[in-house]
Amino acid sequence: MAALTLEIVTPERRVATLQADEVRAPGVLGGFGIRKDHTPFMSQLQPGRLTVVEGGREVHYALGGGFLQVADNKVIVLADSAEEREEIDVERARRAFTESTERLRSLATGDENYPTEAARVRRATARLEVAGR
Amino acid sequence: MPSLRDIRRRIGSVKSTQQITKAMKMVAAAKLRRAQEAITRARPYAVMLEQSLNRVASRAGSDEGAAHPLLASRPVKKVELVVITSDRGLAGGFNSNIVRRAQRFLVENSDKYGEISISTIGRKGRDSLKARKMAVRKDYTGVHGRLSFEKAHEIASELSERFLSGEVDAVFLLFNEFKSAIAQVVTLKQFLPVETGTAETTASVDFLYEPSRAELLADIVPRHLDVQVWRALLDSAASEHGARMTAMEAATKNAAEMIASLSLQYNRARQAYITKELMEIVSGAEALK
Repeated sequence: MAALTLEIVTPERRVATLQADEVRAPGVLGGFGIRKDHTPFMSQLQPGRLTVVEGGREVHYALGGGFLQVADNKVIVLADSAEEREEIDVERARRAFTESTERLRSLATGDENYPTEAARVRRATARLEVAGR
Repeated sequence: MPSLRDIRRRIGSVKSTQQITKAMKMVAAAKLRRAQEAITRARPYAVMLEQSLNRVASRAGSDEGAAHPLLASRPVKKVELVVITSDRGLAGGFNSNIVRRAQRFLVENSDKYGEISISTIGRKGRDSLKARKMAVRKDYTGVHGRLSFEKAHEIASELSERFLSGEVDAVFLLFNEFKSAIAQVVTLKQFLPVETGTAETTASVDFLYEPSRAELLADIVPRHLDVQVWRALLDSAASEHGARMTAMEAATKNAAEMIASLSLQYNRARQAYITKELMEIVSGAEALK
């Protein structure tokens, strides 16, 4: 009997409903993990890798930001986007990564487009990371 | 009395019309199915997001007074009405119901609110409101065809900005809510300020919030608004196809009826013509005797 039930949903669809022993997520204040009987908790997520551990097996998702909520051993991830390894368009992610990095370099840190561009780089990085595993 | 040839030609023309309406009905049915699936797929996120919003908002408001500006209601003087219609016609009362409701809204509320601005999504609504000499502040184009969440996000952010800058004090969405393939309900929904319910479940549990309750709220509220627009668009799209399917089914049936009555007329005329000819032959033969 797995310890947690996990639901990953995006505005467009329900990505997955899983059983998990442990969930590791990219919080805005740093990565964190969740196991059985975690205290009720809600966190903003940044683009990155969500890892689901179940019976010693790990499944990864590339998240495009969102937030996560835990209560009563139920984990809900409300993501802007979430892709499993097979769904990732590596070519596109690579292109997005190079283009955004270029643009980011030309921007000043205080530029109003800086955060969006930085988030784009992080999203692409997350995709490439998950795809590379 | 139309001639045999005239009737035949009319039957032919009605038949080809019927073929078109039949094809449109089938296309609408296929699109309806896809639109319905999109609604179903979007539901879990919307429901869970609303629960989170209610939970965070109810607590944020209670102790630190850190409620989000998009939740704050103020005396309403200027309102914006967002009218969602389709780009294409031939969908029965789909668009005209919305436009009529919009007009009624203007008439009923013109003295209640100082100023009502209108923005439109969908060509049909824009055109008929313009034809009725109503000023349209902004028309969001290129929304239909391929609905995307980004577009919903764009619309939602622009409306939020107008609300925050004080250009409007309230925003309403007017759209066809999808009930079933044959039932669409014209719905007026308050979009801004956001109304939050109270969290029913686990309200007793104290959540930990990261980075903080206020920041989470600031993150959730815009997402919630995106979802509201998104759902209105999805509902409207499904309703449109449902309405078109019903309208085209009725048209196909009417065409069938028309063909039946024209065929009857045609056969009667043909028989009358044969009878007449026979009589002429017989009387000609009689005369020769």
